[in-house]
Amino acid sequence: MIVEIGHFALVLAFALSLVLSVVPLFGARIGDSRLMGIAEPASLSILALIALSFAALTVAYVQSDFSVANVWENSHSAKPMLYKITGVWGNHEGSMLLWILILAAFAGLVAIFGGNLPATLRANVLAVQGMIAAAFLLFVLASSNPFERINPPPIEGQDLNPILQDIGLAIHPPLLYLGYVGFSICFSFAVAALIEGRIDAAWARWVRPWTLAAWAALTGGIAMGSYWAYYELGWGGYWFWDPVENASFLPWLSGTALLHSAIVMEKRSALKIWTVLLAILTFSLSLLGTFLVRSGVLTSVHAFATDPTRGVFILMILIAFIGGSLALFAFRASSLTAGGIFHPISREGGLVLNNLFLTTAAATVLIGTLWPLLVESVSGEKISVGAPFFNMTFGPLIVPLLLAVPFGPLLAWKRGDLYAASQRLFVAFGLSLAIALATFFIVDRVSALAAFGIAVAFWLVFGAVTDLALKSGIGKVSPSVALRRFIGLPRSVFGTAFAHAGLGLTTLGIVAVSALEVERIAVMQPGDAMDVAGYELRFDGLFPVQGPNFTEEQGRFTYSDRSGRERGEIVSSKRLYTARQMPTTEAGIASRGFSQLYVALGDRAPDGGIVVRAWWKPQVLFIWIGCVAMMLGGAISLLDRRLRVGAPAARRARPARPAIEPAE
Amino acid sequence: MVFWIVAAALTFGICLVLLAPLARGRADAADSRAHEIEVYKDQLLEIDRDTARGLISSGEAELARAEIGRKIIRLSDARDAAASMPRSHSLARWIGALAILSLPLVSWGLYAATGSPGYADQPLQARLHSDPSQASVDELIARAEAHLATKPDDARGWDVLAPIYLRLGRYADAATAFANASRLDEPTAARLAGEGEALAAAANGRVTEDALARFEQALALAPDDLRSRYFVALAADQAGNGDEARRMWQDMRADLPEGSPWHGVIAAALESDGADMLSERSEAIEGMVAGLAARLEVNSNDVDGWQQLIRSYMVLDRPQEAQSALERARDALGAGSPEAGHLAAFGLSLGLEVER
Amino acid sequence: MAMTRKQKRLAVIGGAFGFLALATTLTLVALGQKASYFYTPADVAEKGVAAGERIRLGGLVATGSIARAGGTDVSFAVTDRIDTVTVSYSGILPDLFREEQGVIAEGSFDASGHFIADTVLARHDENYMPREVADSMKARGIWQDRE
Repeated sequence: MIVEIGHFALVLAFALSLVLSVVPLFGARIGDSRLMGIAEPASLSILALIALSFAALTVAYVQSDFSVANVWENSHSAKPMLYKITGVWGNHEGSMLLWILILAAFAGLVAIFGGNLPATLRANVLAVQGMIAAAFLLFVLASSNPFERINPPPIEGQDLNPILQDIGLAIHPPLLYLGYVGFSICFSFAVAALIEGRIDAAWARWVRPWTLAAWAALTGGIAMGSYWAYYELGWGGYWFWDPVENASFLPWLSGTALLHSAIVMEKRSALKIWTVLLAILTFSLSLLGTFLVRSGVLTSVHAFATDPTRGVFILMILIAFIGGSLALFAFRASSLTAGGIFHPISREGGLVLNNLFLTTAAATVLIGTLWPLLVESVSGEKISVGAPFFNMTFGPLIVPLLLAVPFGPLLAWKRGDLYAASQRLFVAFGLSLAIALATFFIVDRVSALAAFGIAVAFWLVFGAVTDLALKSGIGKVSPSVALRRFIGLPRSVFGTAFAHAGLGLTTLGIVAVSALEVERIAVMQPGDAMDVAGYELRFDGLFPVQGPNFTEEQGRFTYSDRSGRERGEIVSSKRLYTARQMPTTEAGIASRGFSQLYVALGDRAPDGGIVVRAWWKPQVLFIWIGCVAMMLGGAISLLDRRLRVGAPAARRARPARPAIEPAE
Repeated sequence: MVFWIVAAALTFGICLVLLAPLARGRADAADSRAHEIEVYKDQLLEIDRDTARGLISSGEAELARAEIGRKIIRLSDARDAAASMPRSHSLARWIGALAILSLPLVSWGLYAATGSPGYADQPLQARLHSDPSQASVDELIARAEAHLATKPDDARGWDVLAPIYLRLGRYADAATAFANASRLDEPTAARLAGEGEALAAAANGRVTEDALARFEQALALAPDDLRSRYFVALAADQAGNGDEARRMWQDMRADLPEGSPWHGVIAAALESDGADMLSERSEAIEGMVAGLAARLEVNSNDVDGWQQLIRSYMVLDRPQEAQSALERARDALGAGSPEAGHLAAFGLSLGLEVER
Repeated sequence: MAMTRKQKRLAVIGGAFGFLALATTLTLVALGQKASYFYTPADVAEKGVAAGERIRLGGLVATGSIARAGGTDVSFAVTDRIDTVTVSYSGILPDLFREEQGVIAEGSFDASGHFIADTVLARHDENYMPREVADSMKARGIWQDRE
């Protein structure tokens, strides 16, 4: 019964989202507050229903109810409980349900915290959210229903793809979807503004926190996915320029641009049309990402199931939403008034530069991702565009941006002084140059290019520190005053500093691994040892181990450092998941500071040894630490009081509804 | 029944929630421009804070204040002009009511088309604890497996399960089960020979080195173990030592008691000069399968017969024929009938394609 | 040097367009140089591939062709049932690399006509066949979906 209740709740949510996408819109048009008033209870009810539906599916997974086709196809009674639960979204149908759940949750948040929004804007935003929900609910119900049943039920499930049986699956998709779907709110705000034909400073203030939240989640999701691929696939790589990775990176790039242009719009009422366009494009790229992943038109690790009808369906949703919103944009954008003017050298100018670079970079990634599809549909030739292309195009585009980042926060609004900013950054510049030169001359194998990369990384970190120091007046005022001012700085200043420094840390990790990584590959017999970047890795032997739903052969290694002292054990294994007879490689990783020793097992050699591939990954953890810092920056910014806009005083006088205090 | 009550309650509750704002009296929406002014006021305060902190100079602050002031004045003008906006519409209540009415219609209509309202949940635990006489062979095996999952050191359980696996063609499982029994209790000739046979069967009848090692271990424990002797000879034959194999089989035949089933097997082996026993067995099965197929052409309502036929085809590694048998069975039993549904699920569990 | 507002705007727009033109050129050049084409062994025989050109070679791993020459060097034959190309590779083969399974080898032919792969990709799970391999083999009627 629980399963069927879940199914019914999903159907009811679809009917309700149809109502939500029509009635409040009409209410806003004729100015009727009762019709507009439906939007909030409807959004919250949709959230409740989809949560119910999701819970029902989860129960079916936990109880191994193989009468549900989706459970039978993706679960196994012997699977550990954690993976029974994460398996709910480890497949196409379930992951779409999670997508919709997050969509509904965001609409619910607008309904709950939207008290300080103008009534028509709120109604329109929720109606657009309703349209997106209706489209995707129809998609799920019509072509990927997770509640399809089998009668009589099979006795054992087919198990989840072993690659997905990992803690990474618990975190990666939900975070990624929070990002993807979070941008739907920005999209809804943009479309609502276009429908109303007006856009104001309150709009930008409202869009900023959603963009921040979505961006921070997407940053985390991408970083998590990258770390997961790093340790799970056993190839030692952290980013493959795989089409699906690109699909998540594209909204990140344009979302980053949106984050910055929304600041200009809020502060200076400039770049309105551009910001609206970016909001539309960012969510469109999220939809494109969903399409690429779900339709399987591109070969990828992430393509769970490929079904042409699904692809066509999502393509239609894509065309309807992107085409519709862009048509609306073309039709209504001229009605949005232009805002303040500014000098090219100013904070606004810097942010425009940022947008220019980010959107161009996004465009090259988009072209590289879609190019194979285009070529194949035109000439029938199959080509692949891989890392070399992206390194050649994305690299040169992003480096100037990284160099420019520390200048941005130091420029004044309207008209800035580049010379003064350079002077203030002199210390940061000198320090990063010194560090780069030191590594160049002291550490072996550091090329001039790598030294330059290290300089860029430190430039970003020191630039962020300089910004904080200047804003709290260190050096100009007494230390106690500076400390007080430092503590009293707006949170968004800390957010900016964290995010920019995080970018530097990620750059540092990438540069260090690319330039200084050591890779060794050898056939080893028990007792053999090999040298990996000064560490001695000794192979102790292979040991069979029985897991819950797999059998594995563990290769155990001990490693000792330069002085010959033993430092620890590394276990790397090859698993065979019995239900699918599918082997996987579990890499063994030992961290030394921020660096890692990474060991993967290969095939057995004919003479009884085993192929062992080991890497020394210097400073690799900075790649993800930097991402976490960026995410943290987003979160800190979110806490800034300025983003909480008070409701107009007129509201407070109304006795019919409890007063909503302006948040402070 | 409970399902219908819950579904009705859900629908009704949602309709009520939506009715609430409609039933409210007319309420004026606050002018959106008021919200904007609120933002500008907040920005003014922020400028004050920033100047107090020394983040921006007083000159810059003055300029910024002036700019915001101009925006507020512009807004106030627009506000007066927009005061007379229509606030309500007589149709609104009807539209709202209509929309809410559409909820049960759309949801119940759609659910009727896609759902399976009468189908209860089938949690695995509950199924495994239901009445054994109702259970299928697969379920019985699953029970045994579940028992062994909780008590993996029950050697007797593995002893029971291993030959069943072997019979069903789950050779890898059979080999593991025999091995577990040997490991937990002690290796006996029967267990080792069973494991060897399962390993050989998994390798499509080839007596691999692993398998041969098991048979030789078994013979070390019980030199007259017939199965091991047979397979050791077969291994010799496969390795190209036909004469040696022939000699071993002949020795073995000499030791056989009257009426032993091994007589036939050995005769066949000698006759085909070392054709392996598994293909011999397959031939026998194929004869049986052909008979069964012919019988089902006449008596097409025999669900168990169909099931046996389909499984046999899968054991013989002829999935196309299994597939076609499944389709013939569906046509004979009538698509959509419970028997056809049962077979469809059975087919699915073997990895066959089923139209849903 | 004082510029009027119009001049400034023109300069900014001109700069932006110059930047975009640069990025476009870069992208096109990179696509010309760095995109690698997909070939099946039959394509290689038909069209020929210049030594040193980076390609993706796809097909099935021929039965009995996997040969491990001591250490980590391995060679195997990729076939589409029409033609066969022998591939040399040094490194760890993917988990699901097996005989008769779809595989993509990335690399180039050396001067003597040996294919040297630097990357070998196999399917990711038991349902998955590299799409290019599946498509081209279906087009030649050699391989069919189970469905």
